[in-house]
Amino acid sequence: MNRAVALNTQAVEVPASQDALLEVSNLTLRRGKAVVLDGVSLALHSGETLGLIGESGAGKSTLAMALIGLLRAPEVQLDGSMRFRGTELTRLRESDYRRLRGNKIGLIFQDATAALNPCFTVGEQIAEPLKRHLGLSKWDRRERAAELMHSVGIPEPALRLDAYPHELSGGMQQRVMIAIALACNPELLLADEPTSALDVTIQAQIMELILDRVRALNSSAVFVLHDLALGAQVCDRIAVMYAGQIVEEGPSERVLAAPLHPYTQGLKSCVVELGSSTLVPIPGQIPPLNAMPAGCRFAPRCPKAQAICSEQRPVVETRDGRQIACWFID
Amino acid sequence: MQDPVFSLLDVERSYELRGSGWFKRTSRHLKALDGVRLELQRGDTLALVGESGSGKSTLIRLMLGLEPASDGRVLYGQRDLAQLDAEERKRFAREVAFIYQNARGSMNPRMRIADILAEPIRLHGLCAENAIPARIEALLLRVGLPAGLLQRFPGELSGGQVRRVAIARALAAEPEVIMADESVAGLDVSVQAQVLNLLRDLCRESGITLVFITHDLGVASYLCEKIAVLYLGRIVEQGPTDAILNTPRHPYTRALLQAFPRFGVPLKASLSGEIPSPVNLPQGCRFAGRCPQVQAACHATDPTLTALEADRQVACLFPVAAA
Repeated sequence: MNRAVALNTQAVEVPASQDALLEVSNLTLRRGKAVVLDGVSLALHSGETLGLIGESGAGKSTLAMALIGLLRAPEVQLDGSMRFRGTELTRLRESDYRRLRGNKIGLIFQDATAALNPCFTVGEQIAEPLKRHLGLSKWDRRERAAELMHSVGIPEPALRLDAYPHELSGGMQQRVMIAIALACNPELLLADEPTSALDVTIQAQIMELILDRVRALNSSAVFVLHDLALGAQVCDRIAVMYAGQIVEEGPSERVLAAPLHPYTQGLKSCVVELGSSTLVPIPGQIPPLNAMPAGCRFAPRCPKAQAICSEQRPVVETRDGRQIACWFID
Repeated sequence: MQDPVFSLLDVERSYELRGSGWFKRTSRHLKALDGVRLELQRGDTLALVGESGSGKSTLIRLMLGLEPASDGRVLYGQRDLAQLDAEERKRFAREVAFIYQNARGSMNPRMRIADILAEPIRLHGLCAENAIPARIEALLLRVGLPAGLLQRFPGELSGGQVRRVAIARALAAEPEVIMADESVAGLDVSVQAQVLNLLRDLCRESGITLVFITHDLGVASYLCEKIAVLYLGRIVEQGPTDAILNTPRHPYTRALLQAFPRFGVPLKASLSGEIPSPVNLPQGCRFAGRCPQVQAACHATDPTLTALEADRQVACLFPVAAA
């Protein structure tokens, strides 16, 4: 039903017969009594890039961690389903997950300095997935690591192979992380705020590099971002999250150019653009997990809220090629 | 014209780097700032913009007198910062407030918000002891926080609230100049918008002079009327915000603007490479190695900051055409 609508947009060029690479349906994550993710559903097809956008506390990183199996029982309680190429991830054993992570699913973390091991050279760290997942010999690994470093734009890879992370700049460390993430030609790349610690000029370089490599490998990517304009530049689809729910999801040029959900509208009016003269902040903040409103979770901060909003959860509607959870869509 | 609040006269700041080992005692110098000229008038709002390593924070540390200049002079009013006596130093500390980059780290975690705000008032003897509670309550209200927070500890507040307390503390001593180092970096857009609006209103209402460090040109343009772009310890372009945004004349400024994410504009890596080490500065123009329109002369001649129009200075041999 939704696919028929989605096919009318030019952003989705996937044949209807092809199943989604990643399909999350009605995923709920509980930590004790707190519902951290509440009924999250989304689909990602091959070759697509998806951006998860929202304030801190929205559940973007939690969703990413759940996808790669770093948040699972008994620490948290997962309901619903996450399917990666048809494999149900919620019931996957840890040993099987290990075969996916770093292999079919590549990971890029926010803080490269913290993510890289300071005790090993970057060459050894790039070679690790090559040994673990591909079983390459020592010399092949070294050669491939140098190739990977070259492909992510690190000058003189033969010399840098034996450098330790602290000998590289922040931008170079992030490039090393990308090389590790792409070492086994993953089908899905998960990048949690890959550039928020970098300068704008380096950010543009790194984002261009990630997109370039993702396209070259014909893989898909999920970005966790807080910068809306950057999301519009790098993502085909955008999912806006608020308090553990997806409130608006669709092609990025529509969601961000003409947002329909009041939260997305509010977010956009807070973004500082070059030469903007007024910023309209969203009043209040995300409610704490143990005191979520019964109806729409955004209702207490919403300028359009009416009685029904605080009583009943909004039904997800498909409108203009996107899905919106709101009682009062313009 | 009035006397400027701050004048920097060819300020230089270099650090000595000792080689390691017995035989490597030859010292090298890291030039964090080199030949910076800057004038700040009363009521100005100035943004210092540049990548990490460009010398923004060093510049503000010199202007606060936290570090001496290696060469050149930093004048506050008519007086050289390096020659202030104890009495003048104390007055300077009251008149010039600083908001640290890491707001939470700049507060004692074992002090209540009330004590944090009362400290500068007590230190400078700004009002009688029994008038302090009313005064800190008014301060908190002014930055849009409820008085109920006064008995809390910094650790109990959210990131946005801590930044507001830091602003309230800076306002406590009724300063004439506020300097802020990346005061909105790392905040969510909605909280960032609140803090930016607060700072902008404060400057407009009370005519406070503001020096704001940021790497975000959007933030700079929203908050400040003037922008100075730094690269490798030099000011490469400065002028009114509108002029800088609309017609950047230095190739570096233009590249920064192009790299800034914008709706409806495709992603473009406008610069290759990274900011070089300030230890081995290139000959000639410091930006030549990354400049998209570099010419042979750029590697030989080091351009100085020269006035192109009124209020507009650029350090480039071949400035970008104005049109």
